[in-house]
Amino acid sequence: MINWNRIELKGYRLPTAIEYHEEYVDYEELPMGVELTNINKVENKLIAERVNDDITGVDKNITSYVMDNYNSGIGLYIPEDIRIDEPIRLNFNMDDESPMVIDNNIVISSPNSRSTLVVDYYSNGDTRAFHSGVTKVYAMENAVVNIIKIQRMNDHSYKFDSNIAHIERGAVVNWISIEIGSIISGSNYTSILKDEASEGNLYSIYLGDGDRRMDLEYTMIHKGRRSISNIETKGVLMDNSVKVFRGNLDFKRGARLSKGMEQESVVLLDPTVKSHSIPALMCDEDDVQGEHAASAGQVDRDQLLYLMSRGLDFNEAKRLIIRASFRSVLERIPMEELRGLIYDEIDRRIINGQAGY
Amino acid sequence: MKILELNFQACRGENMERQKTYIEDIDREIYDIKDEFTYRYKSDQGLSKDIILEISKEKDEPKWMTDFRLKSLEIYNSIPLPTWGADLSGLDMDNIRTYIRPDTEMEHSWDNVPDYIKDTFERLGLPQAERESLAGVGAQYDSEVVYHNIRQELVDQGVVYMDIETALGEYEDIMKEYFMKLIPPEDHKFAALHGAVWSGGSFVYVPEGTDVDIPLQSYFRLNAPGAGQFEHTLIIVEKGAKLHFIEGCSAPQYKVNNLHAGCVELFVKEDASLRYSTIENWSRNMYNLNSKRALVEKNGTIEWISGSFGSKVSMLYPMSILKGEGARSEFTGITFASTGQYLDTGAKVLHAAPHTTSTVNSKSISKNGGHAFYRGLIKVLPEAYGSKSTVDCESLILDNESISDALPIIDLRNDDIDIGHEAKVGRISEEAIFYLMSRGIGEEEAKAMIVRGFVEPITKELPLEYAVELNNLINIELEGSIG
Repeated sequence: MINWNRIELKGYRLPTAIEYHEEYVDYEELPMGVELTNINKVENKLIAERVNDDITGVDKNITSYVMDNYNSGIGLYIPEDIRIDEPIRLNFNMDDESPMVIDNNIVISSPNSRSTLVVDYYSNGDTRAFHSGVTKVYAMENAVVNIIKIQRMNDHSYKFDSNIAHIERGAVVNWISIEIGSIISGSNYTSILKDEASEGNLYSIYLGDGDRRMDLEYTMIHKGRRSISNIETKGVLMDNSVKVFRGNLDFKRGARLSKGMEQESVVLLDPTVKSHSIPALMCDEDDVQGEHAASAGQVDRDQLLYLMSRGLDFNEAKRLIIRASFRSVLERIPMEELRGLIYDEIDRRIINGQAGY
Repeated sequence: MKILELNFQACRGENMERQKTYIEDIDREIYDIKDEFTYRYKSDQGLSKDIILEISKEKDEPKWMTDFRLKSLEIYNSIPLPTWGADLSGLDMDNIRTYIRPDTEMEHSWDNVPDYIKDTFERLGLPQAERESLAGVGAQYDSEVVYHNIRQELVDQGVVYMDIETALGEYEDIMKEYFMKLIPPEDHKFAALHGAVWSGGSFVYVPEGTDVDIPLQSYFRLNAPGAGQFEHTLIIVEKGAKLHFIEGCSAPQYKVNNLHAGCVELFVKEDASLRYSTIENWSRNMYNLNSKRALVEKNGTIEWISGSFGSKVSMLYPMSILKGEGARSEFTGITFASTGQYLDTGAKVLHAAPHTTSTVNSKSISKNGGHAFYRGLIKVLPEAYGSKSTVDCESLILDNESISDALPIIDLRNDDIDIGHEAKVGRISEEAIFYLMSRGIGEEEAKAMIVRGFVEPITKELPLEYAVELNNLINIELEGSIG
């Protein structure tokens, strides 16, 4: 039984797991030595020993459910000094045939390697889809790993996603999270900055429309000296949507000369929305810089007025301002076609919403 | 002019002996002088129905109050200890004496107060402040108020300022209407405890349109070891009236734990304004679990000024309920946590009406292993359209043994609002020190100047010329020993 008070998820029972039959891995050609396998068929020792690593993630009950029931997922091993320029893509399409994705993904990025993984969760029509997963990233010395997660499931779907990165000396993990679907959405992104100059960045956008309820948690744990973290979140809430934002900057003792920044700004479009922000700043070390900022309000009236004076109608102007506020995050997605899909989905949802302003 | 003075002081410091870079603890000497533990009546240790009936009988209370106490005790027993915030395992209610009546009557002249009690307040500077800059003073010693006085011209204007026990006799109707209505015993465990064993405190009533331009001050002194202080402050500022109220608290250091669970209820009516300043300087064996709340009507203003310096553990979150259209709340707080201290403080604001505004400005300093925790809440209800709120928290950590946390919760149920929040934590900037040093100021002095600058937005809000001990605190702590 899952009880999350803030988004009023009461007495929720996780569904009985069923298999997922669709093909979801999409890549052209991988450089020599890169291993990309189904999570059930991993031979790589480094991956195999981490398959059952348990994490807390969104909720202990949910992550252990994933560990017991996963029906998909990949093990990705990238050897030393290898750069994969073309993103590796996982497309999880859910429909009435295969409505359930429980994915367990592990990425091991050896020293000095570089890679980008794009994971798209999509459910069409009226399918009551369910997605719950765990993604673990191990970024070794000076590796760079980009993980882009797009969640555009339909309004009948439930989603609980946990992500964790262990970031070693000089390595960088960039998370990009796009949250524009489902009825219930729980997300957790945790980055552990273990060593000197470890870097973790999280850029996210969320759109709340209809009756969506979201609980989004982003955590940066600074352990290494000179470690750097950055959380940048842009959101829009409309209709009866509810959002909980939890941003945690945690400086452990010894994380000297570290810097952490956290910023959330949300635009509220309807009087019926609920927006909770809980930014926590925990500091056991004096020689650090930690900052968080949050802002909330309506669409800037001056901007609206200006655009309308240039001939745009009210909704068009509003749409443009919202698109612009998402831009700084969306521009980080390296595939134009994917950006287009996201913009279209945002437009569709905002225009369909059309709530009185 | 002030800057010049600081510079001068700094230069002079350079030529004198090198001083330590860290900020010294508060010189607690004057607070730590203990009187011999004498009493006219003391309750048994712990909490039971019999003890509460005894207290109520000792105070000769009406039946409704006795019943209220007993009901609160039931609630207290039914609520578990909070699982968040401070570790309260060191607090053993069975060893706390909840009621101690000092060996004196309530007096209106210092001459009639027994010498040892008078001396204590003399050392704290209260009678002097009364002569020089206060319109009225209340002094509580352990569980009862021993002195209360107010200037005649205020009495003539209809202002009431008296100890709350007397008010219970003279203004029973008002007490019935307001007492623990804003903070009911059901609110939390220590509100229930307060309801059961409350004793002492002040009652203030400012009639419509009256401007009390000189502050009133109540001072709470806990002398007995292993005791609890549970004073109740009830202030009603009627339509268009104005008041500045100052609360001071201190206690000498003991090895056993003491408990303070007071309750402050402030009613600010239409167009009225109230400034409530607190300089809390409990000793470091004190659990300070205090509750404060203000209900602000249309266009009224509540200003909180809150200095938390003492205690072993504090959990204190003054709350403003902005109930009327256009009501305002301003919170200015400073928390200074040193060795062995866990100070969990913050402000709560409930925007419950249109066009209400709030600002929260909090600064905390932690040093020598101290732990400062800012915990706040801004909640905007659907009906509070056009509301604005700004929250600003800054923390300074002076060494790497100390801890500072911030958890400001923002809960919005309305779109027509403007909310901004910022928090920062870190240590003194190297660049700022370097800059000051390049202007010829020594390193230690530079650091001291930066700390003074850090707290300056708060200290300038504090009524330095009135507050009895703040002069000591700010001067000794922030200027003298680090200069």
